[in-house]
Amino acid sequence: MNQQFRNTFVKRSAGAALLALALGASGSVLLAQSAPAPAKVPDFSGFWERRDDVGGGNFGGILEKIVPKASLTPEVVKANQETAARQAQGEVVAFGSKWCLSNLYPFFMQHSAAWDLFQTQTEIMQAAEVHTFPRHIYLDGRKHPSPALLVPTVNGHSIGHWEGDTLVVDTVGFVGGGGTPGGGRVGKNTHVTERFKLIDGGKKMSVVSTWEDPSIYLKPHTYELEYYKSDPGTYAYEETCHADDPKQSGSVVAPGQKY
Amino acid sequence: MNKPLLSPRLLPLVALLVCPAFLSAQSKSPDLSGYWELRFDSRNVPPASLIAPAAPAERAAQVQHDADAIRWCHFFGVPYMMAWSPVEIVQNTNGKEIAITSPVRTPARHIYTDGRPHVSPDTFDPTSTGNSIGHWEGDTLVVDTIGFSDEGILAIPGGGSRSATSHLMERFRLLNGGQRLSVVFTWEDPKMYATPHTYEFRYYKAPPGTESREFDCNASDAERAKFLTSVPGK
Repeated sequence: MNQQFRNTFVKRSAGAALLALALGASGSVLLAQSAPAPAKVPDFSGFWERRDDVGGGNFGGILEKIVPKASLTPEVVKANQETAARQAQGEVVAFGSKWCLSNLYPFFMQHSAAWDLFQTQTEIMQAAEVHTFPRHIYLDGRKHPSPALLVPTVNGHSIGHWEGDTLVVDTVGFVGGGGTPGGGRVGKNTHVTERFKLIDGGKKMSVVSTWEDPSIYLKPHTYELEYYKSDPGTYAYEETCHADDPKQSGSVVAPGQKY
Repeated sequence: MNKPLLSPRLLPLVALLVCPAFLSAQSKSPDLSGYWELRFDSRNVPPASLIAPAAPAERAAQVQHDADAIRWCHFFGVPYMMAWSPVEIVQNTNGKEIAITSPVRTPARHIYTDGRPHVSPDTFDPTSTGNSIGHWEGDTLVVDTIGFSDEGILAIPGGGSRSATSHLMERFRLLNGGQRLSVVFTWEDPKMYATPHTYEFRYYKAPPGTESREFDCNASDAERAKFLTSVPGK
């Protein structure tokens, strides 16, 4: 049954339900099919993309304008300075890019390419264009695995729940090595909480991320990114990466450098 | 005066809604969502009827192409990803799109079920998973895929290989009260097959709580590279 019609039907005619009950077996079927979903939640599905609303000039520039600098431990500050120094000396292709390693979370969330969100009652799945694995967010009430059983992954282990119209996602279990907007980093013990919410009548989505890890951040690192709903008919593309292509691997990264 | 519970204007509508024929027509498509496992008895793959058997050199080149895809961590694509376990199907509740994911290094498959046609070949850049559109025929999901690239592992179960001229039709149907999933694959390619090449996989529903895996791939791993490219046992 059409969802909009079903809602109208349920709201406007409790009497119809009574009549259906009186009609016996057929009415029972009707009630079963007309009952509202157990949890009425917003539909987040579809392609979402970032746009330059702030005149950043490029996607890195946008982040510079809208994301606060992370408050980092001295060790991470020093590591960031060393990375900046290498880049100043011409290291323009990082080790991970040279070898086409899977992009680590949250890279695809800050990338220019759209990502596609799939939604069921028990799971949200994000499929990115950049070369990484699909991100699975379980909504079925399961917990994170115990530390002994938790297998670190590119996207971590994510569980979510709804708080009204907001999807709250809790993620641990990163393989480590990635970075966040604002100069933060992602380690094996990093924890991120994200709040997904539709805004502007569903034309946009707000994602507020809060990263925590005492070995990286002096205080929780919070920022908000907004995504636009892509045009109807948008379709997925695959961003391939070939480490055996000399153009890809012809960087100036020193051998043995760890990402 | 209080309004009646049931507006007279709604009476014809209510009569229609309780009609079994209407209910049947409005019944929802089956939900294929979940993790699906292949087991030892999950494959029925007859040999393909090839237009001409590949010459030894051509066959060797094909094998080397697929080996290179593994060595260098390229996207593996279809049909290789469908032969790994478990695959996950994520069927949007709004009915507009279905995804299939795999633990191997491959992008998710996007199957558009919103009625759109294939993207024009003039516009679409071929991919390892192709461009897929789907529709329901009763309780069967029918998926039509074209637009394949030469990225990844090209070998097709039973013989032959994926190419730019490949056309894949798949029929997904639940069996055994939803505990099994039949997928009938039919490949057509005027440059490859004398007759359409059809085989079937029957997946088992994975237990509740099953989770995704990431079989990541690191092309910079020298030990891995040595293992994959050296003579076995040496």
